[in-house]
Amino acid sequence: MNSKIQKDIKELVAEQVISKDTASKITSYYLSKQRHSSNKLFTVFAVLGSTLVGLGIILILAHNWDDFSRTLKTAFAFAPLIIGQAMVGYAILKDKSATWKEASGVFLFFAVGASIALVSQIYNIPGDLSSYLLTWILLCLPLIYLLKSSALVILQIVFITSYACSLGYFSGNKTPWVYLILLASLLPHYYKLLKQGKLHNITSILNWLLPLSFVIVMGAFVRDNGNFGFLIYVILFGLLYNIGKIPFFNDQKLRRNGYLVLGSLGTVYMLLLTSFNWLWEAVFVNRLNFNSQAFYIALTLFCLALALLTYSYLKKWIRNFNLFQYAFIFFMLFFMISLVNTGLSVILINLLILILGIMAVKIGAATYHFGVLNYGLLIITVLIACRFFDTDMSFVLRGLLFVGVGVGFFVTNYIMLKKQKTLKTQK
Amino acid sequence: MKTIHIFTIFIMVVLIQLFVPSQMIFNQELILKKGKVYKFKTHPVDPTDPFRGKYINLNYEIGSYKTTDSLWQRNEDIYVYLTKDSLGFAKIDTIGRTLKSNNKNDYIKAKAGWYSSYSNTLSIEFPFDRYYMEETKAYNAEVAVRNRQRDSLPHNTYALVYVKDGAVVLNDVIIDDMSIRNYVENGSSK
Repeated sequence: MNSKIQKDIKELVAEQVISKDTASKITSYYLSKQRHSSNKLFTVFAVLGSTLVGLGIILILAHNWDDFSRTLKTAFAFAPLIIGQAMVGYAILKDKSATWKEASGVFLFFAVGASIALVSQIYNIPGDLSSYLLTWILLCLPLIYLLKSSALVILQIVFITSYACSLGYFSGNKTPWVYLILLASLLPHYYKLLKQGKLHNITSILNWLLPLSFVIVMGAFVRDNGNFGFLIYVILFGLLYNIGKIPFFNDQKLRRNGYLVLGSLGTVYMLLLTSFNWLWEAVFVNRLNFNSQAFYIALTLFCLALALLTYSYLKKWIRNFNLFQYAFIFFMLFFMISLVNTGLSVILINLLILILGIMAVKIGAATYHFGVLNYGLLIITVLIACRFFDTDMSFVLRGLLFVGVGVGFFVTNYIMLKKQKTLKTQK
Repeated sequence: MKTIHIFTIFIMVVLIQLFVPSQMIFNQELILKKGKVYKFKTHPVDPTDPFRGKYINLNYEIGSYKTTDSLWQRNEDIYVYLTKDSLGFAKIDTIGRTLKSNNKNDYIKAKAGWYSSYSNTLSIEFPFDRYYMEETKAYNAEVAVRNRQRDSLPHNTYALVYVKDGAVVLNDVIIDDMSIRNYVENGSSK
């Protein structure tokens, strides 16, 4: 316990501000809090320890010891697995602490991976990385619920994402549909965490990892018609932003709300990317197949995002107009316009980014959040920088855009100044 | 849920976790015991797998087949029927999209690669292109094979593959009638 608090309590008792009884209650409260936090730290170290030992075993086995006979190597394959299972079994039977369960669960997770890897080595079993990862993930999935282990959820998300990347981007170039099922299997645990421990660090980590995993994997779903990829990503970021705007997440600190941050950054990034004229001319023109998997995925995501937006509206969650929430609808519209007139849609996208920047400045100013305010200014600055590279546009058009951006800066600065002045006069 | 229920489910999970690698071992052992052995002429190179360690990648000399059928899709399942040439090495008898009941030869389930309409050949991806080796030996093995191919002696690097009902186990890679592990160990590459 903090020595300053101890000193203060003594002083308060001496001055008869609090009774001795209250003093002892305060002391015991701080002591229990301290014990709790040291437990947490111990859990983190135990999990890290198990992870390192588990990975170490995998690496040692990956040496492929030639001098050992096949039988001996097979025994080695099963030894860590059985030790891990015994530890987890003991933790469950004796209902040991969370530290025990987390650490033994993580060890077993890696032991399963090591044992399948070694058997594959011994018999030169074919199969790419994705099929190996899938077997591993499936064999360890039930452990999350049996041990109520959060460390295992993090590991599973990381491995499920690597599986989808391996299948979709690297080895197979196939659509990783199983990824969706695997991720859905983690949702009950996540839901429980959101309900029971929304302020726990582990919940915040998952609030970041889940959307991040989606962002990484989504490209693997755009196989046959890459041009829809831009549309799909803008809609995905719109969906994430709107999830982040649900009061449950929105009322939390920004660093706990991965949906909102990723959604916002992603939307701006994608819009900036599509604000280049050459991209539309080089990639998009006349190469859209509306009867493709990519288009149907875009459509499904759009419906989902729109449904969430409507639900938020009906629930009266949306009080003020925030363009970030609607950016994906506008982009869908501009995407359609680009089929007829690409130049017009590029101008509209540039305008959209500019307004988004101004909106961010406005939100930052209104909530006195300097991070958001600077973010808005940064969007506008990057937009200006990007336009320097677009030499294909006519000078008049570029000039007009620059004037528009310049006016935007004046307006935002004016608003900021005005806010500061009113604040000063209020004081 | 009561502890005993959780524990019961856990025991089931344990059994599945033990069953999967055991089943893998059992299947491979069965092929090694009951399967027929074939020699595939090969050229190895050494890549790495992040979890399973170093292996040599085997490119087979019979990795393509001349056919006028140009409708093969990449990664499509393909049944490769085997026979042996006069020197006892594996040779492709025929290939098909489905099993051929009138063909009594051994077959391997493989994947179709690229079809070249220029040479009318289909490349075949055999499911036994990885041979795991001790990490220090894999690169040496590749060098040994390369050196061995440069000299004037007849090329006799081959993979020993057991085949049973379409399934295969790659048991060893042989250079000069010697397992590649021993070949590298004995310093024959020098």
